[in-house]
Amino acid sequence: MFPRKKMTALTAIAAAGALGLVLSGCSPDAGNQNGKVQLTLSTFGNFGYTDKLIEQFEAEHPNIDVTHNIAADGEAARSNLFTKLAAGSGLSDVEAIEINWTTELRQYADKFHPVPGEDIAEYGDWVDFQKKPVTTEDGELFAYGVAIGPSAICYRGDLLEAAGLPSAPDEVAALLKGNWKHYFEVGQKFAAGSKDAKWFDSAESIYDATIQQMANPYEKEDGTLIAASNPEVEKAFRETLAVAPELSAGFDQWTDDWYTGMASGDFATMMCPSWMLGLIEGAAPDVKNWNVANVFPNGGGNAGGSYLTVPKQTKHPEEAAQLASWLTAAPQQIEAFKVAGPFPGRVQAFDSPKLPEVTSEYFNGAPTGEIFTERTQAIKDFAFKGPRHAQITAAASSAISRVQSGNQTTDESWKQFVQEIESLK
Amino acid sequence: MSILQERTQQNKKKRSRAARWDVKYSPYIFILPFFILFALVGLFPLAYTAWVSLNEWSLLGGQGDFAGLDNFTSVLNERDFWIALRNTLSIFVIQVVPQLIIATVIAAALDRNLRNATFWRMAVLLPYVMMPVAVALIFSNMFGDRYGLVNNVLGTFGLSPVAWHNDVLASHVAIATMVNFRWTGYAALILLAGMQAIPRDYYEAATIDGAGAFRQFFSITLPQLKPTAIFVVITATIGGLQIFDEALLYDLAGTGGPDKEWLTLTLYLYNLGWRDLDFGRASAVAWLLFLIIVVIGLLNLFISSRISSSQGKRK
Amino acid sequence: MSHNIVTPTSRAAAPERSPRPDDRPRSRRKWYRRAVGKPSLLVYGFLSFVVLASVFPLYWSFLIGSGDSTTVNDPNMSWIPGGNFVQNVQSVVENPNVNFWPALRNSIIVSGVTAASVVFFSTLAGFAFAKMRFRGRKWLLTAVIATTAVPSQLGVVPLFILMSNFGWTGTLGAVIIPGLVTAFGVFWMTQYVGQTIPDEIVESARVDGASSFTTFWRIILPIVRPAATMLALFTFVATWTNFFWPFIVLNPQNPTLPVALKVLQANYFVDYSIILAGAIFATFPLILLFIVAGKQLVSGVMQGALKG
Repeated sequence: MFPRKKMTALTAIAAAGALGLVLSGCSPDAGNQNGKVQLTLSTFGNFGYTDKLIEQFEAEHPNIDVTHNIAADGEAARSNLFTKLAAGSGLSDVEAIEINWTTELRQYADKFHPVPGEDIAEYGDWVDFQKKPVTTEDGELFAYGVAIGPSAICYRGDLLEAAGLPSAPDEVAALLKGNWKHYFEVGQKFAAGSKDAKWFDSAESIYDATIQQMANPYEKEDGTLIAASNPEVEKAFRETLAVAPELSAGFDQWTDDWYTGMASGDFATMMCPSWMLGLIEGAAPDVKNWNVANVFPNGGGNAGGSYLTVPKQTKHPEEAAQLASWLTAAPQQIEAFKVAGPFPGRVQAFDSPKLPEVTSEYFNGAPTGEIFTERTQAIKDFAFKGPRHAQITAAASSAISRVQSGNQTTDESWKQFVQEIESLK
Repeated sequence: MSILQERTQQNKKKRSRAARWDVKYSPYIFILPFFILFALVGLFPLAYTAWVSLNEWSLLGGQGDFAGLDNFTSVLNERDFWIALRNTLSIFVIQVVPQLIIATVIAAALDRNLRNATFWRMAVLLPYVMMPVAVALIFSNMFGDRYGLVNNVLGTFGLSPVAWHNDVLASHVAIATMVNFRWTGYAALILLAGMQAIPRDYYEAATIDGAGAFRQFFSITLPQLKPTAIFVVITATIGGLQIFDEALLYDLAGTGGPDKEWLTLTLYLYNLGWRDLDFGRASAVAWLLFLIIVVIGLLNLFISSRISSSQGKRK
Repeated sequence: MSHNIVTPTSRAAAPERSPRPDDRPRSRRKWYRRAVGKPSLLVYGFLSFVVLASVFPLYWSFLIGSGDSTTVNDPNMSWIPGGNFVQNVQSVVENPNVNFWPALRNSIIVSGVTAASVVFFSTLAGFAFAKMRFRGRKWLLTAVIATTAVPSQLGVVPLFILMSNFGWTGTLGAVIIPGLVTAFGVFWMTQYVGQTIPDEIVESARVDGASSFTTFWRIILPIVRPAATMLALFTFVATWTNFFWPFIVLNPQNPTLPVALKVLQANYFVDYSIILAGAIFATFPLILLFIVAGKQLVSGVMQGALKG
């Protein structure tokens, strides 16, 4: 029943416990080594900050050592940032944030060191729509713009050809030039000639892209909630879902299947903010036929963006500011764009001769530097994001998903969306 | 009286005083660490949850204005809460019924006079040591909508694929499967223990009366097993109402599905607290969850006392 | 607090069910054997099927985990493992975001310390409750039993606020401290000490002049080792597999294994061969433990359920 030798397991566990105490007692503590200032930098996903880039900074700033921590995804980084911000300690000296978090962080802008005037004097300004979300009421910036997300159209040349459409980037750009209605019409032509592949990936991405092109889709600057009453929003919602059965591959964004769909050729085109290039390449490394066309329905659009911040918690505000400024300076932004796809947000970068030189091997040599510079210049309106933007976006994407999966009609789903918006008031 | 004697006397006295002190107080000292720690990390948070739920309280800003029951009314008015409640109960039912049936059959098989009985018992328990997170990763892949194993297999039988991540019921089945993968063997062993505790004379008598194995199973084993089965259900309830890991990892976004198809109450609590940064409402959900568990617990007790009182011969 | 414990191990015992040694008369069992006879092939077949079903997901993950990124989408996937398992595991353990080895170390620390602490404090309190007389004993024991069913999720918000105020978020202490004691452990040890240790042993120790703690250390602890081992094992497994609280309070730079696996999922969104190779590899330590101590886990589950 209870043989005595079995106690070994208990002993082993007790020993593990004791060992554990010992191990936890001697975790290395990052102190001041050889008199240099030790900085930590936290980013997530792929900012394009290679070891080489960091070493270059260290070479130019011999008194500073940088440790770069990368969180796997934005979600983990976000909860980490907010948690430590609340705790008042534990943050890195420089922390990366995403544009979507700014609606919340703007209320706590005083927890970050503002961008010093010398920074802009030396490295130049950012494009407007990058600055606006991180500008406080006093007109100060609480974050350094890293990248923006000007959007183009990515497409599978082989699928377009198979459906009898042109496939060269210039031809595709010319073919798609126009408004959303035109984009859908070309899609219908494609659908007539295509076997299995659909025109676009997901109704959600189309809807989101149209929303991003409106100045005030969901909220006004004074806080009024207009999402449910804005006729443009309802129009975008209904028009997208009306063409979806014929044109959409029906994926929900950010799912496994969606990523797999990029590799398996389930759809021919997708909305492509510059950072999407890296995702496609990562999801479909063996596909040879992805390309980028210098065009976007209804002109230009921006999706997403990222920043660096210097939390007040840091013990080395000056050096941290140096690092943030340097990393977001035009030459480094271009370097990062080359590596990972986040597009520069500093105006200086557009004047640099190096930017147009950037091409993408994976996307069949597409001149991505040129394309996204033009795409940035095409951006007219960009959505104001108020405090409830994230919740409304989530409600909208649920609403679209309900229709895409066939669980509700467009009318039912819209009605429920309106109810949910009402409850946010 | 010599000095030596005196000293021994004193020592004895001292020792007996120490012994009395020991008898009187050491039990309290022995249970004290438990109660102190439990009060600190168990009871205090419970009480504090109630306080947090009555205030505006954000993760970043900390305590705000006193809000009364606003957090509760706001949560109760939210569609997501009711969806989460529906999902939690639905997943629970889909999980517990098959688990009980399959576990009973496995237990019945294990209750035979097997060769290598220990091997079989261990083999059945193996999934229990797997991390739910790992199980969730594996099964989420197998239940992929377009490229998953399950749909591929259905396809080879000419069946149409199931929308595991878009259909409410299908997603519940998938999550219940993950939970059951880990716990069915465990439940089977508990039921096996219950079976072995049934007095064997019952079977002896039944055999003499000419009842076959099946007859014996249904008229002796199952009725006798009721108390154990109820125990299994009660413990499954406590676990089932707190499903989180499987729901979080079922897709990449981890928010409970494109239209909250598999949002559970605990995931809802997490979303409120750590995604919306609203601790006040998260605490309100925690208390509502607690009430639900208490109600279901009482219901369980009521039902089981009814069952055991209608079952006179056992007692 | 019982984050780690209540859900999984509370399944091991219900109130009034005690970890009592199996004392059924042997003769009756023998009789039963003769009456029922040998199990048919059908029974073995069924059990084999059950075992296959519980091993299959592991094998399936191994198939994918030993292939490359395209294996998972290949409808004509081979049922023979490919040769990339080691390579895929390497990409997991070498990935700087996943922090696999620190995660493994942390899981060992957290689970080991928690198990040792739960066993020690539970046995101490269990001894007091079962063998010592003191005022309030009954009431306090009822309090312990009542708290075994309290769901752990209830307290996460304030617990998080506390840890955050102390600056402990992200540290292992934040995971260990709430698990140091469990009501279930105290209950389990009280039952066991009460039923296996005769009062006379405790009495005679006292007559010999041993203090209560000496009695506990020299006499009780050695006798209760079997039950303590089981409690340690279940606590260890429950803590090891626990995700909710560590996921909230730790960060990806200093994770436990389940938290690291969550990072892995986010990190390799497209390459299931690496995700599943990591999932399997992370399961190995507990499977090893299971091979060593599986028998005791089995009897632990069964004794926890025996009617007292």
